[in-house]
Amino acid sequence: AQMGYQQPAYSDQTAQTPGQAYGQPQYGVQGGYQAPETSYPTQGAASMLQSGVSGITQQFGNMGFGSQAQAQPVQPPVAQQRLNPLQPVDISAQGQPFHVSDLDLPPPPIIIPPNASATPSPYANCPPKYVRSTLNAMPTTNSLLKKSKLPFALVIQPYATLHDAEDDVPVQTDQVIARCRRCRTYINPFVTFLDHSHRWRCNMCNLTNDVPQAFDWDNVKQQSADRWQRPELNYAVMEFVAPQEYMVRAPQPLLYLFLFDVSYASVTSGLLATAARCILESLDRIPNADRRTRLGFMAVDSSLHYFSIPRDESGVREASMLVVSDLDEPFLPTPDDLLVNLAECRTNIENFLAKLHSMFQNTQNGSSCMGSALRAGHKLISHVGGKMTVLSATLPNVGYGKLEPREDKKLLGTSKESSLLQTASGFYKSFAVECSKTQVSIDMFLFSANYQDVASLSNLPRYTGGQTYFYPAWNAARSEDAIKFATEFSDYLSSEIALEAVLRVRTTTGLRPSAFYGNFFNRSSDLCAFPAFPRDQAYVVEIAIDENINKQYVCLQAGVLHTTCNGERRIRVMTLSIPTTQSLADVYSSADQQAITVYFSHKAVERALSSGLDAARDALQAKIIELLQTYKKELAGGNMGGGGLQFPINMRGLPILFLGLIKNLGLRKSAQIPTDLRSAALCLLSTLPLPLLIQYVYPRLYSLHDMPDTAGLPDPSTGSIALPPALNLNSGNLVPFGLYLIDDGQTQFLWLGRDAVPALVADVFGVEDKNALKQGKMSVPVLESEFNERVRAVMEKSRDHRAKGCGSIIVPPVYLVREDGEPSLRLWAMTLLVEDRADQGVSAAQWIGMLREKVSL
Amino acid sequence: MDYDSLKEQWSDIEDRDGLRLSWNTFPASRMEASRLVVPLGALYTPLKEKTDLQPLPYEPVTCKTPCRAVLNPFCQVDMRARIWICPFCLQRNGLPPHYKDISENQIPPELHPGSTTIEYRLSRPAPTPPIFLFIVDTCQESDSLSALKDSIITSLDLLPPHALVGLITYGTMAQVHELGYTACAKSYVFRGNKDYTGKQVQEMLGLLSVPGAPRAGQPQQTQPGRPVQPMIAGAGQRFLLPVSQCEAQLTTALESLQKDPWPVANDRRSIRCTGAALAVATGLLETNFTNAGARIMLFTGGPCTEGPGMVVGPELKEQIRSHHDIDRDSVKYYKKALKFYDALSKRVAGNGHIVDIFAGCLDQVGLLEMKGLPNSTGGHMILTDSFTASMYKQSFAKIFDQDAEGNLAMGFNASLEVLTSKELKVTGLIGHAVSLNKKSTSVGETECGIGGTCSWKMPGIDPQASYGIYFEVASQTAPSASSVGGGPQKGLIQFLTYYQHSSGQYHLRVTTVGRNICSASGDPALAQSFDQEAAAVLMSRIAVFKAEVDDGPDVLRWVDRMLIRLCARFAEYRKDDPSSFRLEKNFTLYPQFMFHLRRSQFLQVFNNSPDETAFYRHVLNHEDVGNSLVMIQPTLDSYTFDQEGAIPVLLDSSSIQPQTILLLDSFFHILIFHGETMAEWRKAGYQEMEGYENFKEILEAPKEDARELIQDRFPLPRFIVCDAGGSQARFLLAKLNPSTTHTSAAGSGYGGVAQTAQTIFTDDVSLQTFMDHLMKLAVSGTS
Ligand SMILES: [Zn+2]
Ligand SMILES: [Zn+2]
Repeated sequence: AQMGYQQPAYSDQTAQTPGQAYGQPQYGVQGGYQAPETSYPTQGAASMLQSGVSGITQQFGNMGFGSQAQAQPVQPPVAQQRLNPLQPVDISAQGQPFHVSDLDLPPPPIIIPPNASATPSPYANCPPKYVRSTLNAMPTTNSLLKKSKLPFALVIQPYATLHDAEDDVPVQTDQVIARCRRCRTYINPFVTFLDHSHRWRCNMCNLTNDVPQAFDWDNVKQQSADRWQRPELNYAVMEFVAPQEYMVRAPQPLLYLFLFDVSYASVTSGLLATAARCILESLDRIPNADRRTRLGFMAVDSSLHYFSIPRDESGVREASMLVVSDLDEPFLPTPDDLLVNLAECRTNIENFLAKLHSMFQNTQNGSSCMGSALRAGHKLISHVGGKMTVLSATLPNVGYGKLEPREDKKLLGTSKESSLLQTASGFYKSFAVECSKTQVSIDMFLFSANYQDVASLSNLPRYTGGQTYFYPAWNAARSEDAIKFATEFSDYLSSEIALEAVLRVRTTTGLRPSAFYGNFFNRSSDLCAFPAFPRDQAYVVEIAIDENINKQYVCLQAGVLHTTCNGERRIRVMTLSIPTTQSLADVYSSADQQAITVYFSHKAVERALSSGLDAARDALQAKIIELLQTYKKELAGGNMGGGGLQFPINMRGLPILFLGLIKNLGLRKSAQIPTDLRSAALCLLSTLPLPLLIQYVYPRLYSLHDMPDTAGLPDPSTGSIALPPALNLNSGNLVPFGLYLIDDGQTQFLWLGRDAVPALVADVFGVEDKNALKQGKMSVPVLESEFNERVRAVMEKSRDHRAKGCGSIIVPPVYLVREDGEPSLRLWAMTLLVEDRADQGVSAAQWIGMLREKVSL
Repeated sequence: MDYDSLKEQWSDIEDRDGLRLSWNTFPASRMEASRLVVPLGALYTPLKEKTDLQPLPYEPVTCKTPCRAVLNPFCQVDMRARIWICPFCLQRNGLPPHYKDISENQIPPELHPGSTTIEYRLSRPAPTPPIFLFIVDTCQESDSLSALKDSIITSLDLLPPHALVGLITYGTMAQVHELGYTACAKSYVFRGNKDYTGKQVQEMLGLLSVPGAPRAGQPQQTQPGRPVQPMIAGAGQRFLLPVSQCEAQLTTALESLQKDPWPVANDRRSIRCTGAALAVATGLLETNFTNAGARIMLFTGGPCTEGPGMVVGPELKEQIRSHHDIDRDSVKYYKKALKFYDALSKRVAGNGHIVDIFAGCLDQVGLLEMKGLPNSTGGHMILTDSFTASMYKQSFAKIFDQDAEGNLAMGFNASLEVLTSKELKVTGLIGHAVSLNKKSTSVGETECGIGGTCSWKMPGIDPQASYGIYFEVASQTAPSASSVGGGPQKGLIQFLTYYQHSSGQYHLRVTTVGRNICSASGDPALAQSFDQEAAAVLMSRIAVFKAEVDDGPDVLRWVDRMLIRLCARFAEYRKDDPSSFRLEKNFTLYPQFMFHLRRSQFLQVFNNSPDETAFYRHVLNHEDVGNSLVMIQPTLDSYTFDQEGAIPVLLDSSSIQPQTILLLDSFFHILIFHGETMAEWRKAGYQEMEGYENFKEILEAPKEDARELIQDRFPLPRFIVCDAGGSQARFLLAKLNPSTTHTSAAGSGYGGVAQTAQTIFTDDVSLQTFMDHLMKLAVSGTS
């Protein structure tokens, strides 16, 4: 019997990857998939696939982006609920090892009873784009969960794009919000209606509630309405417009306070000029539909420079600068005009931004009192709340939270390195918590060529729902740098962030959110506070099983109460139902290896910051061994047979993803990684949305020189650019005459083999002599050549966040790496080849070998 | 010589030397001097304008160290040997080579007998052009603020183009405007509630390189043990610029000044950080302008309510302190504020800078607490109700008066040194100066005023500035009769005033005084040489000086005691017979001066606010003998149909008559008072009617005279026109001798009082009663 996979229309799995499903007829969805690319396994690189995957009868593929409802007939109910069957494979090289294309597969389907939802809507359950559970079948008891050694956690990404227009979520505007009286769950597709539909039973706590009187009434048209059309009963992901009682105060306006570093380093690197120009040019992109958006500007060196900007209508055209050098207790020099309405002061803001750079062009000041500036900024905006956007190229070396250049190269790679990853000053956490309480969020844009103490500074975004964006040694004189930052910063400004937000997860009785990971402040046991809610991050919430569950399925509901950047109070609700099971096999066969990797990525970062890098790596290794052992002992009958290493097919990528984590910039054992780079990587490992995090852990490798004829061109059916098949990350997949793209989502490397023929070089770069190419940061020239165009299209597509189903501002810089060129560049690129042996890390083969050894003990 | 010719002589000397002495003959011994009661003193106006005085364009010839006396007409010069003998130390000095042509017929100007005062233009240039740092209070109503802005903008044209100007504004906070920055309006903001040290101010203005934070591009080379060097001319390029260079920037900054933006509740005062603003200004000028001539001009619209120097809390229900509050020691802020401003005064004066205070406020602004600043730096105090007042505008503009050469009539950074011949020692100075703590053989054992030094510093000095300088006699015994050279022996004093002339050069003015020393005790020449006017003024300064530290009643008792003793010493009388009491002509007015001094606002403070007291005393300590006398004993002129023009009348309530108009000049007030009938006629408008031209004339005459008086007066007096019975008439009544008080209404008063005379409701004794008491006590010989 075929089970409906209930969220097809939400799936944004792209079509370009070869459909390589696990081969179970039960949960495939028919139709709409592309055939595998013909050139796919032609090169030696695909040797690991030689064993083939038997029983591929179904493929998953593109269901199209967006939510254009593809009317999907609901499958007839079956008497017996059958969950995903366990598909053991030998993951060692002799068997059916992990292939990168596994990562393009959707998670194991969530199989819940067909009549579980109140409406027959195909969108009743939450699509993986928004919430992924590590277990798509959950154990009914805590002891079974413990036995499984698997985590039970949700990876929640409430927003999938930077702008609403790109990802419409249904909105219920009538302000009639039905919630359970007892557990405060929002009414959702999984409630049941009783008593002639006058009452509804809560799917979390079973309490029977009255249906609100206005539930069936259209207030606008003043006529009765069809309840079954209400979004909250049809869509697992939807938004309520909140009435008055959801506000502690009137919705705040969007507010950005920019803190510009105007020290010598910032001015001479061109940061100040670029940032100011970028804001100037992006003023129209800053959300301001309600014309309430306010901006403020401060410049920081050893003093605080406030700017009082007059209103356009006042007739005064010039901003005045008020300098405060008294850093003991920063204060506001004037009560007025430091935060101005973008619409009312537009011209004067433009005048100011155009002039800002010239105000500091002759500076000799090498100091930064950014800590004091933040305190001052907080004082300025805390009555409203909003964003403080810090743009700095200097270590804060004076004033509050002043930091020392504490990095000691001798410590790198030693057990003492971990102390450098910890915050050097208590200020950065305590101040961040203070900010959180007053609805102030901080984003750090860091640009220093020297040590900047990202470890300490990143605390500010960490606890305030912000983000750390790191541009090491950035210089506007390099156009690639300038364009990257300007593009990202402009997108950042355009992002429709939410304000004054809280995230809460509610669950079926017996379950309980027990731990929370991500950039926010845990205000109370289960409430995550976000002064501003970004659109480019994901969060992990671990679920504890407190009581045995005797339901066929459970529900988990994540609600984000927030103020939109247009001043509307709303609640975004995401309701996920997953089946329960008493079988460990079901648990393993429905485990989501990518969600599990995200969970352990957060755990590893937490471990690294608290106990050090060694401990973090050791824990990862111990966990994967434990899982393999558990599987062997509990599900494979203690018998692995043939010296292979058995694991369910849906989890076969896990050992390699763990290896990727252990070898990631943030966690890798190495004496060569500057602390700031490591700290920045740890920030990414604990904030990136799942698709980007997986790519960061296991980057994408595409062979370009021999890509299929269809690659780099629009797909005739979808119109989107087709990518070549991705390759596993080992240098065995690289031929000396080849051209490759290695993309971890943060950086793109164009790898040019040492024997690359001049024709290839000329086609792509416009010069025949590869030795004449500029190595390192570059951009691929725009040439007439068709191949050049395709290469650029592939690179472009590879960094298309929307196609991956997530929002991000990141534009990865492109580095040209010649195999026979600059050794440090080559070595750097090689570190992304996770399956290779490098530096102090083992190869994939060694890793699997070691795991097998440990498991067979 | 009779008294009138003596007076004329003293007047000539005053014109020539800017000097009046209490005794124009010096007593011979300490004992003799102490019996004079009124100390030997000089009221000296060092920069007195002398149109005939052309500065000598060369360096003075001076005696050897440590004497350093300057060659003067009292020196004996051996023309042939080209040697001069210093009359102060009796050392022989050679004349410099360029005096080789000296002869009886060709003597250098400094040796001419008339050159007792001479000025040298020294080769030493001033370190910088004069600096004017404006400190503007923005906690003001817009009309007052805009009038203030206008007056400052106007003043820019009165400054020499090379003068340096700077701007600090303040309210809740203090802002230093960076006039040298042109990209936009830029100012540095300081907290109002914090007392910034000079170093902090400089650091915060970026005028010191911050230690520990090397400036990018040039790694700091710190040399152990060496302090961080201030950036050269940093402040000069950024905050204090030539007016010619930054006039536009400064004008824009002033024009765009708004009322302090911080909200003020109805029941509260503005938060005003006058103290912090002054401290910041002081710190700014401490960068590299110490001992460069600078005026810090404070324009304040109310009391300091925040931070250092706070004089009253922000709540309106809390009233600013009165004399009674201070007397009762019940003022929360007084001592702390006084301590702050006094410390600041010391710093500012030490730096050689001037603080002027212009107050435009109906209430007090805390002048009492701040008075040390102008007092010790030679700054001005102007007290007005609002900056819209013409009294403010004209007084302010007057500060920028120019001399005949077109230079500002003000000197900077002066020092006054006093040398004495061995018979005399200087005991102190009372006036706007601070001690330079210079010891020399001329320094006396006792102290009067600022003593223990022979040298004082006056950061600000102007042609009117006068100083009381007091002396004692050194010799225990009288010298043996006439010494070697024959003729009476002379005691000598030399005043050396170095100052930065506003033309940009240093000048030295030298006044040398020689007076006979009386040979024997009881020499009548001594009594005859008594200048009662100078003496009254010098005694007033001592009395006020004492009043600053002592209780009011103690000071009054002291004044009385001194007067009685003087009279007992110099009057003719038979013991215990008051009716026999007679004073010589040159003593007769003295008791009357003391009578009025006792009653004046200088010593009777309770009818005035503490700020007014500070103001009056400040002005008294600045003026010469003539002006001071007017303050002590105002002049009263009467206009009647009976005579042409004004005639002086007694400062007595008896002078108030229905058919007279009175013109009172108390220096601070000029008041025209219309007697009852005159007022009625005026109200009826007779002056506009034909046939009453003489009435119109008599109404106009006092106005014309008042205008004349106001002309040269600084600060501009308050001008009051009032009628008999009007409320404003109280200003007149307060000054009049209460010959007809309510207790003596029927009495036969002093000077034959007409029945129509005004009755003054006061418990003060009348002059007559006062004199009666005085005579009785003087002749009793008890004192
Ligand atoms: Zn419930
Ligand atoms: Zn001498």
